[in-house]
Amino acid sequence: MKTATGIIRALNSGIKHLAVKRFTLRYPEEKLEFVGDGYQFDPSTGVGIAGLKGRHMLFHDHCTGCQLCSIACEGVAEAIGMVKVPEEQKQNKKSIMPQIDYGKCVFCGLCVDACPFYALYMTNDYELSSFSKEGLIYTPAQLAVKPYVRQDSSIQITERGATHG
Amino acid sequence: MTLNVGPQHPGSGHMRIIVQIDGDHIVACDPDPGYVHRGEEKMAEYRNYITNIPHLERPVIHDSCNILYPYVLGVEELLGIETPERAKYVRVIASELNRCIYTMYWLAIYGIFLGHSTMFMWPAGDRELLIDLMEKMTGARVTHAHFVPGGVRNDLPPNFEDVCLRQVNYFEKRIKEYADIFYDNPILISRTRDTGVLSRQDAIRLGTTGSVLRASGVDYDVRKKEPYDVYDELDVNTNVMKEGDSYARSRVPWLDMMESCNIIRSALEKMPSSGSVRVKLKPNPKGGHDTVYKRVESGRGSLGCYIVSDGKPEPYRVKMSVGSFRNLIALPYLLKGEKLGNMPAVYWSLNYWPVEADR
Ligand code: SF4
Ligand code: SF4
Repeated sequence: MKTATGIIRALNSGIKHLAVKRFTLRYPEEKLEFVGDGYQFDPSTGVGIAGLKGRHMLFHDHCTGCQLCSIACEGVAEAIGMVKVPEEQKQNKKSIMPQIDYGKCVFCGLCVDACPFYALYMTNDYELSSFSKEGLIYTPAQLAVKPYVRQDSSIQITERGATHG
Repeated sequence: MTLNVGPQHPGSGHMRIIVQIDGDHIVACDPDPGYVHRGEEKMAEYRNYITNIPHLERPVIHDSCNILYPYVLGVEELLGIETPERAKYVRVIASELNRCIYTMYWLAIYGIFLGHSTMFMWPAGDRELLIDLMEKMTGARVTHAHFVPGGVRNDLPPNFEDVCLRQVNYFEKRIKEYADIFYDNPILISRTRDTGVLSRQDAIRLGTTGSVLRASGVDYDVRKKEPYDVYDELDVNTNVMKEGDSYARSRVPWLDMMESCNIIRSALEKMPSSGSVRVKLKPNPKGGHDTVYKRVESGRGSLGCYIVSDGKPEPYRVKMSVGSFRNLIALPYLLKGEKLGNMPAVYWSLNYWPVEADR
């Protein structure tokens, strides 16, 4: 008898969920909302600013070519290589800037923590797939582009359960 | 007859269990881990104290805050860093959220091991509530690389406390609903009750830890016995069951998740509302000639980290003592004489994570 009521209660618990709203996020029709413009770091206080650790963004007018980001990444993934850039910036004597290989990067953000000149941040862009390995290597010019990321869905908690909306 | 379960079988995780069977009964069993050994400990000797962080958390990506915790505490002691109060609370919240995320994943797999596919879908979905919180907090859904010696990488985003409280409360309401469908379900009870019984003496003798130890009636939790960070200011209640069977071992982590929700709530209440969360370190900090051993309670039991420093920016040796490996030792004792069909129920109830055991 106890077994029978137990099974009925278990079934009932499942059936009740027919009336509950769907929680699944319908990616890619819906995309998640993030808290900021990506993970950033303030070298003056030594504390980061919360945000998604996505694709990097390089500010050409701040980067001095000091290679500290590349040194920080050496112990992690060796994803950063320093490459020559055609343009001349007065703070960047050697005209070298980081190039990031997203086939290797693990999105830890330690390079952002290492940059003392507010030149390297992370953005909310996480859709980085490519058909070739070369397509994953982002040159300094590609890293300078601010991505557009659609964000239209976050977790809503109502009486009838949680949904994405 | 000898039967190899794994290492490719999705159910075994990346490990092989060599079982000798006689008809339907297991005569002997030999767990064979090591298929996902990545040499994390050796790699740690070639990287400095900070760049060790992203790769040392790889063994358990679902529980990456907890696996880093003892390392970070150890490095703080080596370098003589005093962590700010707010950072300690943030770390406790992050590690409790991570414990729940790990346990939900484990529970989902336990469900599918027992053929209960609803119990795979529900935890895998409800986990999203907490993953979303971790993403807001640390910027990554798994492998957060959030803890550093001297605090955490970034402060909480604005309005995080409210969102956290709301989602954790809802999460707790959801996991309580698992009672009817899973934990009080007569079918689950008949599959797991009295299978793989580990007595209190054996649990202590074999050196098991975490939920396995607590399910055998030993009240031991590192958060309570040797509180680290601010656990001594928070009430930690442990859940202990006497039976020591697979059912008790599967129930204790579920009760622990509710306790984690309580800890998160009281940590959010007691957390200082402002203040620094990270001490500024010199680049390439060096430790003295010293050794430290720190341990914390992870989702799988006590997790220790032993660090030897010889005055260089890189540690001389990093050794992890992980709960998964210690619990795996009990498997041959538990499976002896069991029916082969009970193997998944016993094996996964050990709260074992293959990658962590191999490191
Ligand atoms: S995020 Fe980490 S892995 Fe990626 S480039 Fe920066 S340091 Fe290297
Ligand atoms: S991005 Fe920053 S750390 Fe990297 S080279 Fe430029 S200034 Fe130096």
